[in-house]
Amino acid sequence: MTGGGSRYDAIVVGGGHNGLVCAAYLALDGLRTVVLERRREVGGMAATHELLPGVRVPALAHTLGRLRPSIVRDLHLREHGLALVQPEVRAWAPQPDGRSLTLWGDAERTAAHLADSGLVSAADARAYADNDGRLRALGSAIAVLMSRPPPDITHAGLGDALDGLRAGLAARARARSEPGGLLRVTPMSVADLLAEWFASDALRAVVAARALQYTSWEPRNPGTAALLLTDTAGNDGGMAGQTVYARGGPGALGQALESAARALGAEVRTGAEVVAVRRSGEAVCGVALASGEEVDAPVVVSGLDPRQTLLRLLEPEVLGPRLGWRAGNIRQRGATGKVNLALGALPAFRGLDGNGTDPRLRGRIVIAPTTTYVEQAARAGKYDRLADAPVLEATIPSLVDPGLVDTRRRRRKAAHVVSVIVQPAPYELRDAGWDAQRQTLGHGVLRTLDAYAPGIAELVEEMQVITPLDIESEWGATEGHALHAEAGLDQWFAWRPLHGYGRYRLPLEGLYLCGSGAHPGGGVTGGPGQLAAREVLADWARRRDRSHA
Amino acid sequence: MAQRYDAVIVGGGHNGLTCAAYLARAGWSVLLLERRHVLGGATVTEEVFPGFKFSVASYVVSLLRPQIIRELELPRHGLEVLPVNGTLTPLGDDYLWRTDDHGRTVRELRRWSKRDAEAYEEYALLMAEMARFVQPLLDDGPPRLAGLDPRGLLDLAGLARRFAALPEPQQTAFIQLLTMSSADFVSQWFETEPLRATIAASGIIGTFLGVRSPGSAYVLLHHYMGEVDGEYRAWGLPRGGTGAVSGAIAAAAREAGAELRVESPVARITTRDGRATGVVLESGQEIEAGAVLSSADVRTTLLGLLEPGTLLAEDEVAVRRYKFRGSSGKVNFALGGLPEFSCLPAGTTEHYRGMVSISPSVEYLERAYDDAVEGRFSAEPYIDIGFPSAIDPSVAPPGKHVMACFVQYAPYELADGTWDDHREAFGDTVQRTIARHAPNLDSLVLHRQVLTPLDIERTFGLSEGNIFQGELLLEQLFSNRPLPGSGYRTPVADLWICGSSAHPGGAISGAPGRNAALELLGSRRAVGRAERVA
Repeated sequence: MTGGGSRYDAIVVGGGHNGLVCAAYLALDGLRTVVLERRREVGGMAATHELLPGVRVPALAHTLGRLRPSIVRDLHLREHGLALVQPEVRAWAPQPDGRSLTLWGDAERTAAHLADSGLVSAADARAYADNDGRLRALGSAIAVLMSRPPPDITHAGLGDALDGLRAGLAARARARSEPGGLLRVTPMSVADLLAEWFASDALRAVVAARALQYTSWEPRNPGTAALLLTDTAGNDGGMAGQTVYARGGPGALGQALESAARALGAEVRTGAEVVAVRRSGEAVCGVALASGEEVDAPVVVSGLDPRQTLLRLLEPEVLGPRLGWRAGNIRQRGATGKVNLALGALPAFRGLDGNGTDPRLRGRIVIAPTTTYVEQAARAGKYDRLADAPVLEATIPSLVDPGLVDTRRRRRKAAHVVSVIVQPAPYELRDAGWDAQRQTLGHGVLRTLDAYAPGIAELVEEMQVITPLDIESEWGATEGHALHAEAGLDQWFAWRPLHGYGRYRLPLEGLYLCGSGAHPGGGVTGGPGQLAAREVLADWARRRDRSHA
Repeated sequence: MAQRYDAVIVGGGHNGLTCAAYLARAGWSVLLLERRHVLGGATVTEEVFPGFKFSVASYVVSLLRPQIIRELELPRHGLEVLPVNGTLTPLGDDYLWRTDDHGRTVRELRRWSKRDAEAYEEYALLMAEMARFVQPLLDDGPPRLAGLDPRGLLDLAGLARRFAALPEPQQTAFIQLLTMSSADFVSQWFETEPLRATIAASGIIGTFLGVRSPGSAYVLLHHYMGEVDGEYRAWGLPRGGTGAVSGAIAAAAREAGAELRVESPVARITTRDGRATGVVLESGQEIEAGAVLSSADVRTTLLGLLEPGTLLAEDEVAVRRYKFRGSSGKVNFALGGLPEFSCLPAGTTEHYRGMVSISPSVEYLERAYDDAVEGRFSAEPYIDIGFPSAIDPSVAPPGKHVMACFVQYAPYELADGTWDDHREAFGDTVQRTIARHAPNLDSLVLHRQVLTPLDIERTFGLSEGNIFQGELLLEQLFSNRPLPGSGYRTPVADLWICGSSAHPGGAISGAPGRNAALELLGSRRAVGRAERVA
């Protein structure tokens, strides 16, 4: 069958990267698809802001290391202008005393460096390559589960059972070398897992911080090991993690996806805010826009977060009391803020020559010197407060992509941009609202950085502070959670976002979820969009066969 | 010539005794060896002060497996369990009070929140269903999900089938109970802080987790498991203290022919060619056995009692990875009278027949956890208080009383000093915290016994003072408890684990002891069959 009378077969609500990926795959299979985006530009949280005229900075996400290679291939994103840059360095973790750890893409090189870092025991340095291999093995085991739609575990038929079994066995086989396998490792706390591997707390802390990014968890919280594995799954980062920049900023991904989707025949409309999903009986028939315009299609795929999709776009009677209650209980309290800086000159980090030739500044600069530091920062957030010493992940994308700072058009003397992800930044603050504390967050970041790069504050030409409230109002993510729903084993795999709705299908025929709130979860991976499209197309084929029969 | 038995059991805790009883009933010659002068391990009643009989460590029963009570005829051997009714959460001049009188509890909850009063029934039924769902996991060995044991697939399929048969609300709850924090789980139903906190508090007992730490919801479920079987619908106190439980099991074991020796510390488990062959006592006496079963925890058993080098390096690593991290203490008071809680009208006595829980809010409990993470005992701890003498007068002199306080957090590892330096300060903190709600407490205190994790380790031989012989963390439960894929066996042939270190874990359940005995008997029958065939 096709969309019958309507112009479209499928509507994708929200032009974030997952929405665009989904739309492109639908168009690739011949569905007449339209993307409806509320904002002026597409790409969602993979966006580039102009901080000053001619000075551009990653708005939120600043690296694209987990973008699924199959998506880049299938949609020919390189032909559509996506250029990915991967520095040799992955992460650089300076310590208050001026020493630092560097995690290179090459594990052997990292191990060699660790041995003479003075921060890490000889045993840890020797064990690094082995443990990197272990993490990769566990990551590849998780990847088996992350690279396919989850099995139906609600009333598993034989097919699902076999499918789940195949995946389970494949995953188990890859994790065979690990005693207890995924069953032992995934429920662990990332602190306990890393403590099994390394004695050096500085090394544990920089890896743990990566697992906890965008979440409210503390390093000792069980289940956070699964987040490290998930972050490692589907990329070749291993212990060091991935660091990949898009030339021109993360927004380039949105542009490439839009161009790819259009080339495949999809329409992309911006400034089109969907306020309701329309239905006839138990099936969707289209959406209504804020303008009052109605757009018809037998398939509606939402890239919005699950709570909004269920509670804002659907009428309560569609959900019923129980599903409404469950949707209201989805945990998605935003925990992360963003501070973007335009600097007059490259900051001089202690322990580096600071002239910009040092390759270590091209990776993720991680301020998480000890596990206790990470723990205490998260603890402040736990009680809805900002931390005196927040956990930071900073990048200086203008080092790898000088084009971000237009030397001809720039006013003032901005030479570099620094992009800083800061935690905690709780959605709700206890003492005073965000209006009062927005600048507190920004200055806290500068104060923290100043201990590692003295004088950085004086270099600031422009500072942009993005709070969870901004993420909610600007990007529409409920409670400002960058991952749409908190990452954690209780909202994971076949039960992300909710048990019974982990296979992208929502409680109306033809309604699907394709955003970060769906399996395999958040981060710039395109995974949810790609897998959702797979399920949409499977149903589409079934319905077509039925209507032809 | 050394004595020889079919089985030697190391440790006379309630699980060791249970194991001994089942093996003896199967006709085996069984010798049980207890280090202390009393049997029962942590399930023990001791007259610490003249006339005052303390259930020194564990203080309530409800998880004791009903088939053990039946099969070992424990009532005939003197077990009588008196009901503990209700939980009072004092809150300055107000309180939250739940009792077994459902109507009354609902009225009380309505005082706080109509919504919570309505949700309460639904929640109680759901948890009963959940407990029923996990029962089979308690009474068999753990599912063989670890490693590549092909039988694991059958276990997995069985689990999946039973799971798929559940209605969605129960499927959802089961997933959440395995993965959520107890506070998040409970908060889905209730908005009243003291109700959230008092229920969620069961999720931290014996485990170094906060109420907001994922994994605590499973510990919460663990404490509901006992509350469904016909025998005991609620928590109870054995007449004469918890020691009466081990007393009854010991009597059953003796009647079945088991030999139970106290003051017989085991120095070493002997092995030959990787098989356990018996034990050597500290007295030097050697005892041979066809099988050695240890109810000591897995670290004490495999690292403390085996000759160094007996284990392969990777097995030793696995044992060292198993987490204990004792996080709780116990303070037992001998009182001249019952303390009066200022939140209740003078003359109220009913609450003494139940528990009193110091758990005003989720944040109160979480901050208590933060202290422990920093290596300090909680400045304002969670305390679960019982008054055994109000239910069973036999444990205190006439007119006098016993008050038992389970306290969290008391981390085994302290940031500075040792527990020997902090013991009394800890006791004072507990007494002060309770006195804030019962001002006349100080004037009633005759004696005080403070058990820190270090004391629990020294007295009962529980590593790091963990009352469950290992934290109830998902990573070391089911097929990974105590070691990946081990079940009740160990890397050493004929050496078995029959204590709380093994599936399904701690509390007075007897399940590990019974399951280990049945699995050993089953394996020997299988061998017998094989030999007859050959």
